Amino acid sequence: MKAARTAVLGAVLAAAAAAACVERMTAPGNCPDYCPGGQVTLIDSLLATSISRDSAFRGYVLPNQGAVMLAADLPGIVDGRAIFRFSAVGQRFPIKNNDTTTGAILAGDSARLTFFITRRDTAAHDLTVRLYRLPIAIDTTTTFADLSQAFTDSLLRTVNLDTLIAKPGRVDSTTGDSIVVDTTNKRLFVSLKLDSSQARYVFADSGKVAYGLRISADSLASVAIGKGDLGPLLRWHIVVDSLGTQVKRPDSTMAGPSARGTPLATFVFAPPAAPLDSTLAVGGVPSARSILRVAFPRGIRDSGQIIRGTLILVPAAAARGVPADSFVIEAHTVFADFGAKSPIVLDVTRTDTTVIQVDSTDTIQIEITNLLKFWQTDTTLATTLVLKAKYEAQAFPEIRFYPSAAAAYRPAVRITYVPRFPFGKP
Amino acid sequence: MRADRVALLAVLLSGYPAIRLSAQDSQYGIRGLGTPGRWESVRARSTGGAFGPFDPLSPLMEAQLADVGHLTGGAMTAASYRDAETGGSTTALRETRFPLLQLAGPIGTRFALGGGFTTYLDRSWDVTLRDSVVLRGVNQPYTDELTSNGSVADLRLAAASRLSPRLALGAAVHVLSGSTRETAERRFDDTTYSLTRQTAEVRYDGLGVSASALLGLAPGLSLAAWARSDSRLRAKVGEATTAETDLPRMAGGGLRFAPSPSVRLAAAVAWRSWSDAGAGAFDTWSWSAGAEVGSRAPIRFGVRGGQMPFGSGTTAPTEFAVAVGTGRAFSEGRALLDLGLERLERSGAGLKEHVWTVLVGMTIRP
Repeated sequence: MKAARTAVLGAVLAAAAAAACVERMTAPGNCPDYCPGGQVTLIDSLLATSISRDSAFRGYVLPNQGAVMLAADLPGIVDGRAIFRFSAVGQRFPIKNNDTTTGAILAGDSARLTFFITRRDTAAHDLTVRLYRLPIAIDTTTTFADLSQAFTDSLLRTVNLDTLIAKPGRVDSTTGDSIVVDTTNKRLFVSLKLDSSQARYVFADSGKVAYGLRISADSLASVAIGKGDLGPLLRWHIVVDSLGTQVKRPDSTMAGPSARGTPLATFVFAPPAAPLDSTLAVGGVPSARSILRVAFPRGIRDSGQIIRGTLILVPAAAARGVPADSFVIEAHTVFADFGAKSPIVLDVTRTDTTVIQVDSTDTIQIEITNLLKFWQTDTTLATTLVLKAKYEAQAFPEIRFYPSAAAAYRPAVRITYVPRFPFGKP
Repeated sequence: MRADRVALLAVLLSGYPAIRLSAQDSQYGIRGLGTPGRWESVRARSTGGAFGPFDPLSPLMEAQLADVGHLTGGAMTAASYRDAETGGSTTALRETRFPLLQLAGPIGTRFALGGGFTTYLDRSWDVTLRDSVVLRGVNQPYTDELTSNGSVADLRLAAASRLSPRLALGAAVHVLSGSTRETAERRFDDTTYSLTRQTAEVRYDGLGVSASALLGLAPGLSLAAWARSDSRLRAKVGEATTAETDLPRMAGGGLRFAPSPSVRLAAAVAWRSWSDAGAGAFDTWSWSAGAEVGSRAPIRFGVRGGQMPFGSGTTAPTEFAVAVGTGRAFSEGRALLDLGLERLERSGAGLKEHVWTVLVGMTIRP
């Protein structure tokens, strides 16, 4: 009997405890009759004159520092050519496997040149690459004019990539060329077979060779050629002196020299980028950046909760190129304002972007909500914006915006924010 | 075996997951200062509140403390299941409160002291709003959620004395103290606009005094009267005072009649000048009547009615409730368990509420 009483009491208390632990208190409001007195209010403000002391600088990423080599044939816009130099293969090569005895390299029998085209305009037809032999003395200071002669009289091969793609198996059995279309990564892998005259082994140069690539198409001829891990490779087939006997390497008994990479991979182009003026340039090669100082109102900065901030820029000159050269620009804030050398904050959560479409003069709007919120977290931060291309020196086009000096088209910031809620008022 | 099953059920029930612990007593309190608490124990509330002036563990009055006899402590919990009808829709709400903790005991032969807390104003609510605003030339739908979680407690120190077999007097000071954690959130459908969420802790304070008398008119017939005045409720966010609101004066009385040792009848009435709190507030009258039948496990029942102090119309919202309950003593009367069930209907401009409330009270007499 006592146990039963205890159980009943336990059940009652447990039921009460269970009921006490379950809450459901969210109800739709019936305003204004049965809503709290305070309401969330919004202010949408255009800060038309908040940007000042803006300027542009060029030279952050040079052609040889870019992640790709650019080649283009856009009459009236740009003529760009990729140039690269392969490392030396050496003057001697082992005769046998597991034997340190070497023989002199007498000649190049042939070679296979491979490279990636990492970006192209798929609307371009008859995309053709032309391979030129270049002086091995090319370096990062080599200019378009320096190579004009070589690009005139040293043509080695002309390959129509569209024709090559159309062949069975994408292999040209006559020339030995082939191509792979990587639809996943949207790139082409081109493999060209060079004969001994095209892959000319010069003993004094230890097999160091340099080439240049031009492209053409019926229109929209603009491509990016891979560098680094996706850079050009040259695999030599050589003739070696073996005690007076000429042997080829590789052959059935022994491998040949390893593929040679490109210590130098860059590009030249003409005309050079137009000099900077009072406009705000972003992109191009060498890459340009623009710096804008924002007068962030203290009233908003200290007590407003920003829900949207937009940087409004009016193009003074459209980016020129092919649609595939449309590029992304980023707005960054800086750790400190040192002008052109301001160290930018490279944090994806504090970076805002937009796409610049080629040949468009539409007003550009960059959402900079993240940056404005970042400035609110630390009032000692410089309220400076840096505009840069996301992938600098990886596309020829650059865009230029009107600066703050152009009163009618000056950059502006539009902020939508919520003032402090009136807590504590019935 | 059956007892074991009940015990197992008790264990299973107690394992129900916790979600949020807060309270929300009425939508009517959202617009004003809050929802006033009920200064009644489970025993009094099971009689509609009619026994409030005569129950030592109900903090409505002080004079009845003079008859407490032993050191006594009590607490209660209330779980409410509420349907709120507004704007053509009905929302089911559920909340739990722990609105009462009282301790009282005799000091000498003629005096008694009591203290504890009870809910003065409940300020817990969670309201969602759906609307839109034109931003940058585009209509942007959004959802607002405004919440307040907390209450203002009435901390009371009371003293009472039986001056004669027929007359007892009491008085008390009240410290009003509490806080609410409030949030205001707006979420746009278009995620280009960030979520905005602001939070603040609002602290409240105030003071009050009260006095009461309990008069024996005849054997089994008692009359109670009480009055109370509170100063103002000050709201502070940080160090800034955001609002000061006048609080009401109150007065009330009750009559209890016990025709036999196992039958007790009571009725009570109260007036509160809530209109002092400003626009949208009304003076209120409330009344109750109830009975308690039996001694060992009494049956209690009662009704009450009256007005709510805050509403949107030109007249105060009204409420009406019926209640029933019982109690049981354990351990030779050293522990008492009281249970109650209340059905409440509230009605005002554009809003109706239907509430079931389960009441559980525990009294200890060490």
